[in-house]
Amino acid sequence: MSFDIDIMFRYGPLLLSGLWTTVHVCALASLLAVAAGLGVSVLYGLPMRPVKLLCRAYIEVMRGTPILTLLFILYYGGPSFGLTLDAELVGIIGLGLYGGGYFAEIFRAGFESIPAGQLEAARMLGIPRRLVVARIQIPQMLTLIIPPSTNQVIILVKESALLSIITVAELTKNTTQMVNETFAVVEPYVAVALLYWLLIEGIALTGGALERRFGYAS
Amino acid sequence: MEHKPVVLVEGLHKRFGAAHVLRGIDLAVESSRVVCVIGPSGSGKSTLLRCMAFLDRYDEGRVFIEGRLLGYREVDGRRVPDSDRNIDSVRSVIGMVFQHYNLWPHKTALGNVTEALRVVKRLSRREAEAIGMETLAKVGMEEKANAYPARLSGGQQQRNAIARALAMRPHVMYFDEPTSALDPELVGEVLEVMQELAGEGMTMVVVTHEMGFAAHVADEVVFMDEGEVIERGSPDDVFKRPRSERLREFLDTWRARTI
Repeated sequence: MSFDIDIMFRYGPLLLSGLWTTVHVCALASLLAVAAGLGVSVLYGLPMRPVKLLCRAYIEVMRGTPILTLLFILYYGGPSFGLTLDAELVGIIGLGLYGGGYFAEIFRAGFESIPAGQLEAARMLGIPRRLVVARIQIPQMLTLIIPPSTNQVIILVKESALLSIITVAELTKNTTQMVNETFAVVEPYVAVALLYWLLIEGIALTGGALERRFGYAS
Repeated sequence: MEHKPVVLVEGLHKRFGAAHVLRGIDLAVESSRVVCVIGPSGSGKSTLLRCMAFLDRYDEGRVFIEGRLLGYREVDGRRVPDSDRNIDSVRSVIGMVFQHYNLWPHKTALGNVTEALRVVKRLSRREAEAIGMETLAKVGMEEKANAYPARLSGGQQQRNAIARALAMRPHVMYFDEPTSALDPELVGEVLEVMQELAGEGMTMVVVTHEMGFAAHVADEVVFMDEGEVIERGSPDDVFKRPRSERLREFLDTWRARTI
């Protein structure tokens, strides 16, 4: 069997449009995941037991169920409780909430790695609790969590391939379409692997750059 | 006006679970006086200082800062925990220096000093930085203003931490074993700054293992052991004429170590 470079060019636009969907769905899902994770980790730190339990429950459910199950519940189960969402939106919400569970744990570990003495010093100076979080804890935590967060975003991008199952026209879905139309297998999957790899390398490089930018004298 | 000590501690008790670590401490710190608290490890001296700042809550007794009760309110004769806001307000005249400096590593030396000036006193950046530089100069750190803590020696970090507390214009400074984490050759520069402060009339409470400092700078030395004040008096009384066996033993151990 010969490697047909020609169909790669013919299907280029389809693959690139899939790539674009993957990129923007993952970008929005990552934002949601980071926001949810940060929110949950801050709430987790409050001295309120019920809030803590709710946060814990969220984290455990997100980590304890496959992402595909969550996507099916949202997409196929949604309508039965009056929630009819566009597949792409389900993808963003599903991946975002799912990733949020992991980000919450990353952030929590980040918060806990800041020595208590630093917070006592802030307390003695009369800095209000919320400003201690915003100005002392979060900036330091962000530096600490850049490497694991980069990792988490990479995982999220790979998991986004599952969105093809709920009909989102992202990279994997469009590749499958290409396979179905051309009966070629090797070319489409080599092409898609290359595109995912480029995307993920891009994320890894960005993560590395952020690490250098925000790493303070250590 | 009625005379009030800057810090007044009455019948202070503190328990950590079953451990009774403070057993009825009384202490009065008058304005411009330097009180050094000495004693063996585990004697409760750091806990006392932390309770005097309400970083640890005390169980019985009272701490007054310039006449105001710290940490609790009394409602119909019953004691209830005070709001964070009130605690902050009473505490605002205390500056605290910790054994491990506790600088914020993501801020420069100057940033550490200006932070509270900006967010608590709400000064403009320019005003805060002017006060910050002036305070850093006072501890001999103006040339390191833009350095991050990781680039500073222990002695510099501790002087930075002193500047951070001083910038808020406290009426009393607490030092919790400020030189215990330092390499021996760096102890002097920190003690010098503290001695200078004392000379300027700063009211100070110093928990320390530096007997030399206590002997030369303190107005009153308090010796604690097992959660109690065993002896107190002038440095001469405490170091030259110890009355209790425990203090004599403590001083002997210390002397044996320093030779």
